[in-house]
Amino acid sequence: MEDKKKKLPELIRTETTRRGFLRGTAVAAGSAVAMATIGSLAPKSAQAQAKPPEPKKDPMKFLFAERQNCTGCRACEYACSVYHTGVVRPSVSRIHVLKYKDSIDVPVLCWHCNDAPCIAACPTTPKAIQVDPKSNGIILNEKICLGAKCLKCQEACPAQYVWANPDTGQPLICDMCGGDPECVKACSAQSGNPQGPCLMANKLGFGVNMAYRAVTPEQAGADLMFLTFYPNVGGKRITPVKTAKTKKARR
Amino acid sequence: MTTPKGGCFGKILEIDLSKQTYKTREVPDEIYQKAIGGNGLGAYFATTEYKAHKDPLAEDAFMFIGPGPLNGTYCVSTRMSIAHMSPYTGLISHAETGAHFGNEIKWAGWDGIYIKGRSKKPVWLSIVDDKVEFKDAAKVWGKTTEETHEMIMKEMKDPYARTAVIGPAGENQVPFSCVIVERFRAAARSGTGMLMGNKKLKGLAVRGTKAVPVADNGKFMEMANYAKKLAVEKEAWQGIKRWGTAGLLEQNNYFTGSLITKNYQTTWYPDIVKIGGEEAGRKFWKRHVACNHCPVHCLKLGVIREGKYKGLIAEGPEYESGGLLGSNLGMTDLNTELAMIEACDAYGIDNISTGGVLGFATELVEKGILKPADLDGLKPKWGDGETYMELIRKICYKEGKAGKLLAKGVKKMAAQIGKGAEAYAMQVKGKELAAHDPRGDKARAYSYCLGSCGGDHHEGASTRALIIFAMLNSLSLCSFASGLLWGGENAKITVGMLNPLCGWSMKEDDYWTTGKRIMTMERVFNVREGVSRKDDGLPKRFMTEKLPAGPKKGNIFTAEDTKKMQDEFYSFVGWDEKGIPSEATLKGLGLEYLIDDVAAARKEYKS
Repeated sequence: MEDKKKKLPELIRTETTRRGFLRGTAVAAGSAVAMATIGSLAPKSAQAQAKPPEPKKDPMKFLFAERQNCTGCRACEYACSVYHTGVVRPSVSRIHVLKYKDSIDVPVLCWHCNDAPCIAACPTTPKAIQVDPKSNGIILNEKICLGAKCLKCQEACPAQYVWANPDTGQPLICDMCGGDPECVKACSAQSGNPQGPCLMANKLGFGVNMAYRAVTPEQAGADLMFLTFYPNVGGKRITPVKTAKTKKARR
Repeated sequence: MTTPKGGCFGKILEIDLSKQTYKTREVPDEIYQKAIGGNGLGAYFATTEYKAHKDPLAEDAFMFIGPGPLNGTYCVSTRMSIAHMSPYTGLISHAETGAHFGNEIKWAGWDGIYIKGRSKKPVWLSIVDDKVEFKDAAKVWGKTTEETHEMIMKEMKDPYARTAVIGPAGENQVPFSCVIVERFRAAARSGTGMLMGNKKLKGLAVRGTKAVPVADNGKFMEMANYAKKLAVEKEAWQGIKRWGTAGLLEQNNYFTGSLITKNYQTTWYPDIVKIGGEEAGRKFWKRHVACNHCPVHCLKLGVIREGKYKGLIAEGPEYESGGLLGSNLGMTDLNTELAMIEACDAYGIDNISTGGVLGFATELVEKGILKPADLDGLKPKWGDGETYMELIRKICYKEGKAGKLLAKGVKKMAAQIGKGAEAYAMQVKGKELAAHDPRGDKARAYSYCLGSCGGDHHEGASTRALIIFAMLNSLSLCSFASGLLWGGENAKITVGMLNPLCGWSMKEDDYWTTGKRIMTMERVFNVREGVSRKDDGLPKRFMTEKLPAGPKKGNIFTAEDTKKMQDEFYSFVGWDEKGIPSEATLKGLGLEYLIDDVAAARKEYKS
């Protein structure tokens, strides 16, 4: 009986509760005021009954980007830096939106590779960067990290994703905000728009992560340029490079 | 002198191009409270440093690139403003533009960049946090804005660097040339490009890594989040998200009756279906582009897919560019129109004034006042895109008779040509009008007539809006994602963000006082140059010719309309019947230092 009630549309359900409330008034001999109060209370309690126990939200482990949807508003950078430092400061953001020839915005993010070349390259013992098993985020141990003089992780990242913190020289790597990435929330909040959000998070990874990661931001920009503006002209795919050995002069 | 608690750093980067040196100019917190930033701070510098009748192209003339206190914080859609004395109109001017340049200045740790002097050789400036370098621009001098941008970006070696450059038009001293920011955005309408070209400054590149200090972060974020929520959710703004301002082309043709057509002859342009927002969405647009933290992303990029310009990536049409270079020139070919817009961006020229000049020339040729012989044998006629393309190029290089004539701008052209050309010159205070016909949209006359730069659409379309826009231009906020959208809540939201950000204790009343103060500072500057009520009117055509067709058929802008508008505004801000700020007003706004200037200007009026 309870179950059936739940499935009924709103209008009918209110109707039934009202009948229940009428039964109640027979006992309470209600005035108009009482009717109003009980009437407003009744649906609430019905809702409370219908509400399932709050599911425990599983931590998100991977980020995705529908890169063609990026408008370059940098809400993700804002949200990231606000989460990590309290104020807006894109230079310490763990996600980047780079312009390519000022016509294309390229979101550059951590693909959370299963083999994590950045961690493999970290020379310290124990490793200064480690994967948090719960959220799959990469956690930096600031005490151990060698900072600007090392940055082997920056060299190792095939996606050239890793930037250094301008203050400490230590790498800025995505920690998945403990499983509930702020950038994704900011992106979907921002995109009450025809384009739809660019960033997404999921519990599971997907093959594209491994394919995307070998593409540098510049290559991704060139690729997106074709995808966006000349899809039928030269939409040829950029061949992924195996490793990016050159250490870019980045601040 | 007090250092600001937040929002501002209290220091402005002062660059002397003559000596190729730079220094920090410290600005106390009181000045920010008084003038906010951007346009307001520019007006403060202009009124304190310039005497009357200054040569706007003198070696020590300054240009102030100013973000506001909210730039670089969590506030939605922060922009920047370039304030200076305009070499085009001879009045105070400010040019607003979007993109990320303004925020990058703040993140580099400056409240603005104040540039004076004149370099001997062409230079460009690289500003990375505290480090300022003067770089040789010989290689890029003469190049288009796009090529210059690419070259500067290559030398900056940082994908986060932002640029503001001029093109050939600025170098060749075309008075309505502009500064192109990040390739597609223009800080235009006031001769910013000419001024930079005069200083032999080809461009600036900025990169910052700092954060803007916030006095009370918790409270500030609360209000900033509320403001952002409005920008995301407001129903009226969904159209702008999808079609940008180009959607207004159709709106103003079918409904408002203010879409300018063929040099303001009418507002009815049925061919708008061929060049409007809907058609652009169908044939041209590929992506939306946003400024800082903006959910509205009104800039649209696309690629021309057929015809002579196939494959060209361009920006637009926006309402102003699509109106002035579209319906104003009787264009029916969207592809050529877009190529014209892109050409204007590449040469670094204001496409509103360019459209005004071309429309004016076309009508004069149509009426027989101007002969093709005066235009190097070119005969512009409505819809002839190729001739217009050629004329745009000639203007930018001041080439031949046509280039030299058209590069003067509508007002000086009319004076030179004579023969009744004056009647077709659509300008206010020496500046071409934007794409709103005040006969259909009467409120727009406030912006054209009473705004401080003249002929400008971006100054607010009512008495209160004029004050709001004075504040917006000083805070360097966007009129879509913030100002217009906040409506009646403008004072509440702005004060609610500024107080916790800067540690101030402004009240909502202070919002209006500050706006009035900024308007009055600008006005006093203009009064010193001889502006009064007589200059705050529209061109004669709006008063004498009824709209011949369209939804507002028969409408006219009467002298009574003008007077009512002027009286209403003057009494609101406390200016007298001549449109000159009264002594009591100056005292009330804390502008005592301007009393003598105004008195001197008054004497000139009597004689």
